[in-house]
Amino acid sequence: MTRTRALLTSLVSIVIGGAVIAAAGFVLARASAPQTPVEAQRVGTSSIVVDGQRKTVNHEALTISAYPDALFSDVLGGESGAHPDWVAYSNNNLVVHRNSLVTITVKQYDGGEVLNNSYFGNVVGTIDGTATVDGKKITLWSPEHVGHTFTLRGIPGSGRELFVSVPIPANDVVDSCDPADPNPSLCAAQGAGYYPKKAVEVTFSFYVGEAGQYQWNCEYPCGGTRIGQFGNAMSTWGYMSGTLTVK
Amino acid sequence: MSEKNSRKIPPLMVVLWLGITTLGVLGSLYVVPWLMPESASNTMHLSILTMVIFSVAASPVAGLVYAVLVYGLLRWRYEGQGVPPDGPALRANNATTALWLVGSTVLTIFVLVWGLTLLANDQSGESKAEMTVDVTGQQWVWNFEYPGTQVKSNELYLPVDTEVLFQVTSKDVVHGFWIPQMGIKVNANPSATTTTSVMPNKIGVYDVRCTEICGLNHSVMVTRVHVLSQSDFKKWLAQQPASI
Repeated sequence: MTRTRALLTSLVSIVIGGAVIAAAGFVLARASAPQTPVEAQRVGTSSIVVDGQRKTVNHEALTISAYPDALFSDVLGGESGAHPDWVAYSNNNLVVHRNSLVTITVKQYDGGEVLNNSYFGNVVGTIDGTATVDGKKITLWSPEHVGHTFTLRGIPGSGRELFVSVPIPANDVVDSCDPADPNPSLCAAQGAGYYPKKAVEVTFSFYVGEAGQYQWNCEYPCGGTRIGQFGNAMSTWGYMSGTLTVK
Repeated sequence: MSEKNSRKIPPLMVVLWLGITTLGVLGSLYVVPWLMPESASNTMHLSILTMVIFSVAASPVAGLVYAVLVYGLLRWRYEGQGVPPDGPALRANNATTALWLVGSTVLTIFVLVWGLTLLANDQSGESKAEMTVDVTGQQWVWNFEYPGTQVKSNELYLPVDTEVLFQVTSKDVVHGFWIPQMGIKVNANPSATTTTSVMPNKIGVYDVRCTEICGLNHSVMVTRVHVLSQSDFKKWLAQQPASI
């Protein structure tokens, strides 16, 4: 009887422990639910070289924005999240289709300063190793004048290897959008704040193969005062990071 | 005299000890290398060898512990009611004590000498380095710079049979630079440079992983190491665009 009771107690303890861990995982997973996905739209076909062979593939495009405050973006379902004063990309859940050439346009409304790692001033992993900034082709951007980066990489074991990193130049107009003294000809109002009317537009293209999930984030230290400016928005899911799903 | 009071070692315990030790030795020889990453450097080869030899050396000790445990469960179980009475007093056994002390000392000295020898061998590589790679960790990407060139990359490229010195740092928090298949791992600390070295001896593609929990996307801070022939490495280096 005693032995049976001890065995039952052990089993119940294990089951309760497992249930607590499962519940914690479930709650955490729900807490970081992604936004409504932004799905790339087909714009035609393109002829590109894939693994040494020229192919004609679907060409699709999507646009996201980078704002100085989440307040201005549709981050976290348009409610600006728990931290409306944090810097943010407009969407953290991007969806594209397999075997496609994907063109992403980033509309940059935020300022910037110096990259702490000049490597991220380089354009890496795009078609021809180039991007365009307001229509001008670049292969790198001065690390002294970068606002953000869009740096995309594969999640281990989740599909094709992919690494894309593009510097997003600083938008200097943001300096004219001080809420205490905004320049109305350059800045648009939203809520209690202002942001530049005209974005710096960065466009780049890359090829995605098989289905998989990839993760991206900003590598410009824009997150806050802690740990080398890598705190706050840089360390919290959904502000300066997200996923790119290839389906 | 009952078995409990006998100073003779029960034959079943000896059988258990020999059996468990044999299983331990076989596991050390065949399972341990299988559990270890593939070896792509002499450093990793020595790490695997160390694991195997230490596991073999530990097998008789672990075998004895488990033999006594299993034997105790089988033969010394108290079947009565309530709290069992005290057993007989333990008496000194000089032979057992001497054997235990000598065995422990020999094993400890062996482990110490082996470890110090490998450590000296490991550290001597840095002074023989034929090339240097600057490694930078940043949440959550690695990048690599090849001094003397303007080449930077997000995947690591190395020539085979060349001693490489890694100068490792971080731009933000503490990361851990680890190439499992080459048996090297060193922390990447902000505002400081740490070093390690290795000579890859097998052409192939291997992993770089971060071993310090470094934030939101630590789990994806992974990249590849491409070990190329020396001529292919020179070609790769010549084909890379200049980076800033």
